[in-house]
Amino acid sequence: MSLLRPGGVPWLLIHEIQLYWRGLAGKKAGRGVGAWIGGSILLLVMLVGGVSLGLVLRRVDVPMVPLAATITLACCATAFTLMLSQTLAAASEALYERGDLDLLFSSPIPPRTVLFVRALGVAAGVMTVFLIFLTPLVGPAIILGHPAWLGLFGVLAALALLATAAGLSLAMALFSLIGPRRTRTVAQVLAALVGAAFFLTSQIRTILGKSASESLFQTLARESAEGRLKLPPIGWWPLRAMLGEPLPLLAVLALGAGAFALSALSLGRRFADAAAATQGAEAAAAKPVKGRDRAFAGGVFAATLAKELRLILRDAGLLSQVLLRVLYLVPTAVILSRNAAHGGGGALAGGAGVVVFLAGQVAGSLAWITLSAEESPDLLAVSPAAIRSLRRAKLAAALAPVALMLAIPLAVLTWLAPLTALWTAIGAGLAAWACGLINVWHQKPGKRADFKRRRGASWFATLAEVGVSALLAGAVGLAVAGLPLWGLAPLTIAGIVLLALRRSDAQIAKTLRLAA
Amino acid sequence: MTEALIVRGLDKTFSKPAVRDLDLTVHPGELYALLGPNGAGKTTTLRMVAGLTKPDKGAISIFGIDALADPAAAKAITAWAPDEAMIYDRLTPLEYLEFVAGLWSIEPKLAKARAVELLDTLGLAGEARRRCEGFSRGMKQKVALAGALIHDPKLLILDEPLTGLDAAAARLVKDMLQARVDAGGTVILTTHILEVAERMADRIGIIAGGRLLAEGSLDVLRGQAGKDGGTLEDVFLQLTADGAAA
Repeated sequence: MSLLRPGGVPWLLIHEIQLYWRGLAGKKAGRGVGAWIGGSILLLVMLVGGVSLGLVLRRVDVPMVPLAATITLACCATAFTLMLSQTLAAASEALYERGDLDLLFSSPIPPRTVLFVRALGVAAGVMTVFLIFLTPLVGPAIILGHPAWLGLFGVLAALALLATAAGLSLAMALFSLIGPRRTRTVAQVLAALVGAAFFLTSQIRTILGKSASESLFQTLARESAEGRLKLPPIGWWPLRAMLGEPLPLLAVLALGAGAFALSALSLGRRFADAAAATQGAEAAAAKPVKGRDRAFAGGVFAATLAKELRLILRDAGLLSQVLLRVLYLVPTAVILSRNAAHGGGGALAGGAGVVVFLAGQVAGSLAWITLSAEESPDLLAVSPAAIRSLRRAKLAAALAPVALMLAIPLAVLTWLAPLTALWTAIGAGLAAWACGLINVWHQKPGKRADFKRRRGASWFATLAEVGVSALLAGAVGLAVAGLPLWGLAPLTIAGIVLLALRRSDAQIAKTLRLAA
Repeated sequence: MTEALIVRGLDKTFSKPAVRDLDLTVHPGELYALLGPNGAGKTTTLRMVAGLTKPDKGAISIFGIDALADPAAAKAITAWAPDEAMIYDRLTPLEYLEFVAGLWSIEPKLAKARAVELLDTLGLAGEARRRCEGFSRGMKQKVALAGALIHDPKLLILDEPLTGLDAAAARLVKDMLQARVDAGGTVILTTHILEVAERMADRIGIIAGGRLLAEGSLDVLRGQAGKDGGTLEDVFLQLTADGAAA
């Protein structure tokens, strides 16, 4: 019997891979030369770093001490957390984004085969992301003297399989506990929080402060040196597996593959039932929107603002992404308040700059949503409403959440360092407004679902937002550092860039017509 | 008398000509059905009238207003309801109507009363506070129709308004349109259901290849097609076949 018998796992896997690559090729075709150049430069930088690292580590062996095993465990836990964030989101989306699921489930192929292949695709996707970043960094070291370190990729594969099993089980557990309607929302928010947990863990040194984090590391090192840090044998497996020891590597791989097979095969039927239940579930379970019987908003501006804010607040996927960006502010906010309390000028200036930069970025993303990802552009086009009123309302809707996001950090900062708070507030407001305007001038119609990776946005607008936000961040940084006159230089350049980017209503309309 | 709609010499070419030198007149208070095979140019014509597509050439006048020179004034008295409902899944029907009323700058108190009345008439009162995301196609079409009617337009343009509606909903919509015409409103619609046009339309326009082949009441069209006593289907097939042959 042929291995590629129609309906079998390998046959279906080849079909999935074909679709995946065609989809990827389609996306890349639309990204243009800029993205390719950027990607190539990043790869080159990573490769240079990897070769340097490889040369340094050529004759260095990893010490088999408890501290190394503990660090490896921590790295594995962090990687697993990040992977889980992706697999949970992917597993819940697989339930709702029907695609060809109806076709596959209506065919004689067993549901468990369908799920097995889908889950394998999720694991491979997660693994690929890590491979892209790790291979140029670790590959040279493996080639230049440590072939056994290939075991790292085995551990990575095991972690990807384990994370897929966990993501799948978690999504199905959520489905059973809270039903189809809420699962999607909760899974998206949970995935964002898990991803943010990864980021916050990586910033532990910033959050705890240099002395606290160093003392934590020093305590661990001292405990290890004095023989008090003891790990059970299983705690050594990841390190041993990464260093290519066959038995631990096999054990780690078996653990990942076993968990994956168990969840994928045992959840197959339930997954099929759950996927079927999602169809129409939102209608069946949709509860009336709460709130008192209030009056209608009057006029184009008020009605559009109300509509945009409702759409933003009711989009769990969007909110979780914004939440992620807000969480990225946490370490910066901690630096800012700590330095404001202790008068640390340099770090304070840097922190203020980061807040300004992030305000611009979040505003830009939301402005793209409200301006370019309009779900019913024809409705607005057939109305007599002035396009300027509509744009103003959409821009206001994009800026409102940014103001809300910055309110608490700015309030704390005002208490500790009022002048810094003033500069930060002015800079953040300017950056948010400027990034919003860039999105008005360079609209590129897209779908809200594309927000996650800003796939729908114009790369030119994205680049311009980054540039203007960075310039304004620099201006604020200099002002906070006590050099407000020096800050005029980046501020002026930002103004010139904005003037160059400015487009008339006729130009915007022409671009939109061409895009349609 | 000011005509509800006058279209003269309308031209639109995309990759190939979609509408060619089209003339059309719709009288106030009539229901006009624009019929034609797929790709005939019906939707493109109506999109140009609604202000969604810019014509390459020609003139459009809505109740005496030059729609190309003063689009906002023309849009203020017009409504457009395409076959794909222009609604927001995450808004409730009431919130959607609030937004649409805002776009047409309707006084909020009046808009709310009208929204409640429309949703009630369309059998959506029970769903007024539920988000549209789980609605059936027919329910979404009804919400969109309520949106089209909230500002009480003088000219209502509908592209395939009965697509996706069940028998009861289709009857409801037909009755609403008829009541609107009886009250003096003007309605232009496209449909593939010829029986609907035969039964409801005061006048019918048949378009193919971007050109208007024939226009008039069913009797006039029968005469043009040489099909005395024939159904609209017979007339339509005859005229479009003649048009293709020419």
